[in-house]
Amino acid sequence: MAGLSRKKLQLPKSVLEMKFMKRTKERIEKELENIHGHEGLYSNIITNEMRTATGNYIPEASFIYCENLIDGRLSFKGMNPEIERLMDLETPKEEESGEMQKDVSDEVLVKNMNKFKTRKRQSLTPSKYNVPSKKKK
Amino acid sequence: MKASVGDVVLPGDYCEEISAVGEKAKVIIGPGLQKEIDHVYVTKAGILKKRNPNTYWVDNYQKRYIPARGENVIGVVVQKAGDIFRVDVGSSTTAALSYLSFEGATKKNKPDVQIGDVVYAKMLVASKDMEPELVCVDSHGKKGRMGVLSDGFVFKCSLNLIRKILNPHCPLLESLKNEWPFELAAGMNGRIWIKANTMRETIALGNAILGAEYLSDEEIKSMCTNIATILAGHVS
Repeated sequence: MAGLSRKKLQLPKSVLEMKFMKRTKERIEKELENIHGHEGLYSNIITNEMRTATGNYIPEASFIYCENLIDGRLSFKGMNPEIERLMDLETPKEEESGEMQKDVSDEVLVKNMNKFKTRKRQSLTPSKYNVPSKKKK
Repeated sequence: MKASVGDVVLPGDYCEEISAVGEKAKVIIGPGLQKEIDHVYVTKAGILKKRNPNTYWVDNYQKRYIPARGENVIGVVVQKAGDIFRVDVGSSTTAALSYLSFEGATKKNKPDVQIGDVVYAKMLVASKDMEPELVCVDSHGKKGRMGVLSDGFVFKCSLNLIRKILNPHCPLLESLKNEWPFELAAGMNGRIWIKANTMRETIALGNAILGAEYLSDEEIKSMCTNIATILAGHVS
């Protein structure tokens, strides 16, 4: 209780002194009195440990969070378009994390690119075949 | 008796591994585990499981549903009592479903729900000592996937089967979803509602789900292709 009241924001004294804050002031004073009264009453029962103790154990009654289960309402092949729209909204997130699907695998791409590069280089470098054609012009 | 992850455990066993982790970091203890002063005790008979980060639970066979907050369930409306519906979800008592917890419902505009209707709803309050409470809207007031389930067919099964088919790694729905159009609602309380275009398809779907309970992933896949070929008329 004491810890909580300390954390609670309190109005400055000058504001509480104002005429229209009279009722609030009375209320706050009453609250403080209550807190101190309680502390005196239960001081032999409430230990410091009870005020500060925190647990590392979080109880969870449901399997959904333990086993990471999906939502149980599903529709496939256009049986219920409304549900399928909701399902589509949720799925793209999962796809982003995975590797994207490819029509051409990495190895085939590398092979083809190498082939392409060598062909290109051959055509760009002047050879004895394309040099004479320039001369003709 | 001491138990570790992966063991078959009985009520009264305790797991020192969880206590050791709990000294340093946050631990989520799921169904079947209970923290007492000295140890984390097992309260159900099953297999102790772990998933990272620091989540422990007991995987047990069970058919009786115990309400848990946040779970989606299938219930049958059994009574209209003033401003709530009483819904049978298979737990020890009926659950309360307020008529205001439907999308767009107001005091004047009541939702059209009759006794005997099947509803797909979320557990909002599930306490040991109180009547469970259901809602048919999410926190934004939208109905989402919840609401009254019309037509279709409802059957019961064990709670384990529900968890099995809703597991993201389960191949059952993955292999059925491209075969024929169907709709499905699986409640965590061990009830499944299915709907397909024809009776043959509905029965096939129901058999596929019920047949999957004790099969391995590979067996589920072959069973699904079997059912699909029979349904397509290739084999009579």
